[in-house]
Amino acid sequence: MKNKKTTKRKVKKIDRFMEGVFLLSALLSVLAIVLIAVFIFAGGIPFIAKYGLSHFLLGEKWTPSNNPALFGILPMIIGSVSVTVGAIGIGVPIGVMTAVFMAEYCTPNLYKILKPSVNLMAAIPSIVYGFFALQLIVPFMRRLFGGTGMNSLTVMLLLGIMILPTIIGMSEAAIRAVPKSYYNGSLALGATHERSVMRVSLPAAKSGILSSIVLGIGRAIGETMAVVLVAGNQPRIPESLTQGVRTLTTNIVLEMSYATGQHREALIATAVVLFGFILLINGVFLFIKRKEAIR
Amino acid sequence: MHIKQSSTVVLALGIGLFLAACGNTSSDAAGSSSAEGGFDISQTIHVVSREDGSGTRGAFTEITKILEKDAEGNEIDDTYLEAAIQNSTDGVMTSIIGDDTSIGYISLGSLNDKIKAVKIKGVIPTAETIKDGSYAIARPFNLVYKEKLSKEAQDFSDFMFSQQGQEIVLKEGYVEANDKAPVYTAPNNLDGKISIVGSTSVTSVMEVLAEEYRGLNPDVTIDITSNGSSAGIAAAIDGTADIGMASRELKEDEKTSLTVSVLAMDGIAVIVNKENTTDDLSIEQVKNIFTGKWTKWEELTD
Repeated sequence: MKNKKTTKRKVKKIDRFMEGVFLLSALLSVLAIVLIAVFIFAGGIPFIAKYGLSHFLLGEKWTPSNNPALFGILPMIIGSVSVTVGAIGIGVPIGVMTAVFMAEYCTPNLYKILKPSVNLMAAIPSIVYGFFALQLIVPFMRRLFGGTGMNSLTVMLLLGIMILPTIIGMSEAAIRAVPKSYYNGSLALGATHERSVMRVSLPAAKSGILSSIVLGIGRAIGETMAVVLVAGNQPRIPESLTQGVRTLTTNIVLEMSYATGQHREALIATAVVLFGFILLINGVFLFIKRKEAIR
Repeated sequence: MHIKQSSTVVLALGIGLFLAACGNTSSDAAGSSSAEGGFDISQTIHVVSREDGSGTRGAFTEITKILEKDAEGNEIDDTYLEAAIQNSTDGVMTSIIGDDTSIGYISLGSLNDKIKAVKIKGVIPTAETIKDGSYAIARPFNLVYKEKLSKEAQDFSDFMFSQQGQEIVLKEGYVEANDKAPVYTAPNNLDGKISIVGSTSVTSVMEVLAEEYRGLNPDVTIDITSNGSSAGIAAAIDGTADIGMASRELKEDEKTSLTVSVLAMDGIAVIVNKENTTDDLSIEQVKNIFTGKWTKWEELTD
């Protein structure tokens, strides 16, 4: 009787201790995000305040080598948004259709090849995608449209491919999470397999698929190392899809290594804007998730 | 089940065709460039530049007057807005190798035979032409320090400006500052730490110098931080580094508190694809190309 009590107490002690360890781990990630936010904002906000928010966000000229220098990031904002929209346009239809195929049509044998391939796509380092694009997409674009081949379309195509694993993985999980009874019910009412999948399973998985798209947007807007190789990186507003483009991320990574003083602060302020975009995207993601949970 | 299988076959065929098409285009590309033979001067020039803040870009735009002061004393970097920006020497070279109508610029030390360096007013960029001043696009590799160097730093400096040190500079593809330098002999039992901060362009040669010096003075540690000319000068001024490296001329306010010595000269080569038939440009022509005033090779005139 007494013995049992002491072991019980011991177990409780270990429980408490482990709870503390887990809590500490959880707090560490929160601390990391807080530190990142503090560092970025402390570095960027004073510059934005000094330079003027509207001059910074709506300025069309980025000329750090000039004296006085101009730091307008409108070209980069437009660049980031446009290539992200393009990437979604290319990646979402392919990704969602792939997910439908994998969840509803695929034979087990083919699935054994497809699933690891998609997972492998997610694991390939982005710089490798960049080299792939430099060797294959850039020469292709050069033949098609002339110019250097480093243009918005190249970036969109590259990012469209890069967001595929995010979209396929989450969409497939969402489609699989739809209760089988929906599909069976639809079959019982006389609908074909295609009709049941497209009209019943897919709409039921809508919010999961939307979340996958939002995460895909986040991945596309944040991608850096692959994009910098093939974008051309001209700091001006692109007038057509066959012109080069500079995104927020590449603006930072291109110039950070040598930047000093005000130029450096302007790059950190660029990171603030990027951070804002990411917060917005994650907010949308949480909103969709919450709506799904309520339903 | 039948539908499923036939659609799989169609898909597989589609992928196969797509791959085959890709194969065709790449072989076409290789075929056409060799078949044409001559270089088509009606092509648009693709300008490749470095990023803002890069020492090479700073030196290049300054020497070629792409960066100019206007009437109010403002400095304007007039680099062509359509120029593709690469943030490394390798990036520039890859672009030039892959595109026969492109033009860029890199350090002389990085030149190789995969690309073609154009002459500037008839002068080929080599160590000799840079030293005798006939090649126009050249810059100094400066070392800067406060009045008094520590004993170790002074000794390392003696080494860099000795016959051995200057030979290394030459071997790395740069032009030595002094070809009649004294021979260096290592002192006994010197130990300590030297920190050197600054230009990434100078770092490559500095690392070789430090390596060689360590062989002679095993107890001296040399820390090299590569973070750009301006950072190197700032570190030398505030004393966080013994020696600062700068691959550009110093500004007046920077000069007042520092001693400057030229370790080597570096030439910037204007490079084009090997297919390109252009082989001689004046500084004015270089400027017109890199500011986007001329956009086609056939526009090149004196």
